[in-house]
Amino acid sequence: MEEQLAELAAKIAELEAAAGGAAVTNTMFAETFYYLTIPLMIIIHAGFLAYEMGASRLKNVLSSGVKNILAFAFMIPTFYFFGWWVYWGFPTGFPGDPGPAGISGIEYANAIALGWGDSAQYMGPNIADQASGVFFGAFALFAATTASIMSGAVIERIQTVGFIILAVVLGSFAWVVAAAWGWHADGWMVTQWGVHDFGAAGLVHAVAGFFALGVLINLGPRIGKFNADGTANHIAGHNMPLTVTGLMLIIVGFFGFLMACVIVPGEGWSWFADKPSTIYGTPITLSALAFNILMAVAGGIIGAWVITRDPFWMMSGALAGIISTASGLDIYFPALTFIIAFSAGLILKFCADWLEKRGIDDAVGAVTVHGTIGLYGVIMLGVWGSGFPALQGAAGDAPTISLIGQIIGAVVFFLCGFVPGYVVSYILKMFGMLRVREGAEIAGMDAVKVPAEGYPEWGANAPNAAE
Amino acid sequence: MFPYEQASWDVVDGAMFQLWGTSMPGFFTFAAMVICVLVLVVGQRSETEKAKRFD
Repeated sequence: MEEQLAELAAKIAELEAAAGGAAVTNTMFAETFYYLTIPLMIIIHAGFLAYEMGASRLKNVLSSGVKNILAFAFMIPTFYFFGWWVYWGFPTGFPGDPGPAGISGIEYANAIALGWGDSAQYMGPNIADQASGVFFGAFALFAATTASIMSGAVIERIQTVGFIILAVVLGSFAWVVAAAWGWHADGWMVTQWGVHDFGAAGLVHAVAGFFALGVLINLGPRIGKFNADGTANHIAGHNMPLTVTGLMLIIVGFFGFLMACVIVPGEGWSWFADKPSTIYGTPITLSALAFNILMAVAGGIIGAWVITRDPFWMMSGALAGIISTASGLDIYFPALTFIIAFSAGLILKFCADWLEKRGIDDAVGAVTVHGTIGLYGVIMLGVWGSGFPALQGAAGDAPTISLIGQIIGAVVFFLCGFVPGYVVSYILKMFGMLRVREGAEIAGMDAVKVPAEGYPEWGANAPNAAE
Repeated sequence: MFPYEQASWDVVDGAMFQLWGTSMPGFFTFAAMVICVLVLVVGQRSETEKAKRFD
């Protein structure tokens, strides 16, 4: 008997050790999972950098790059200083009351997301916290993505500091408010209206796209873009292959972006012990993402090819394909994803042309690709995904996805982007901090802002250098 | 449309995409295939048309 008890005790000890080892492995896996999304999302930024520089004329190529690089650099610390705090503080709206899931509100944000006091323990190296840093990193890169989206639209005439102020307002505040409201289990748009935006079509893309529109209205078009009768001229970038390659890099980075939208299982902060979930606590698999992202890319490219035959618009179609389906990548059937993405590719150029006819000079089509198609994606989920519980649990206890809820979400996302973009750029314009002087714009912003040459062998004899 | 009788994530133990259990996924697959073929037909025609201008 004693021998059997000893044997039993040894087996229990062995099982306990194995369980402890499994828990450590799972924690390390969870930390690594989010850690790897960070470099993948930096590829998005590399893509936007190449895309913008290629879309700039030779005289502006480096200044466009400098602007984009600085946006990234300022986004990280400002998101650390206050963006992360805004996300946790205001899901229920203002003034920041705690929500039903118990992971929101000013007090909660003060406890975990400030870089001083007791809260600072979660904002720096801490052997007992293997989650905060990687979550922060993933969110900071979402923020950098929003700034990059705006960055391309305003090339070749914006002031550097004015642009950085706008990037900080967008990346560390505007989209964060939209995310708190519509991408958090306590978010009021989720708990009251069932808004579902798994892959951030509205709260990242539409917010950034319409923020850019607000800025463009005050910034005005590049010199030479429009004729006296209002017709538009095409201003070609200096390097289409670089632009198209940049767009492809953005697609690569999107796999990291969307991977970071998944909550891994088995941790204290996970929704499930045994399966991954969305940020809303509803189940998802990486297989779902693999099926649907790939079909979305393909559908968007094919749709844009039918209309334009232009590689710039085809790769923009790939982006539009993902963005148009991002809200429901967790629950769409892949063939339907393809069809929705195809439709986004078809309408893309028409939407961009419509905007241009209204005097808006969006140099890379960011308002259309991210803004218009982002809202299209949010509403498409209302058409195809109605009836799904928007949060963990059952309908009745949890709100369900509906067309009206998604339309409300789309309107709020539009306002979260457009209003701050317009207001802040208007203030910058009043202080003379928005647009470069005419002479500098004509000379080229590289000559004014950058002590280096993009293509030094070409020098002043470069094609279109003095245009 | 939620593919289970009870609109609850607690009962989901398999396919969870919209319209699972109906004929719609098959229809969507067929429609996506038709789109691919049609696009190729249209693409071939228009490219031939444009190429003829260089004869």
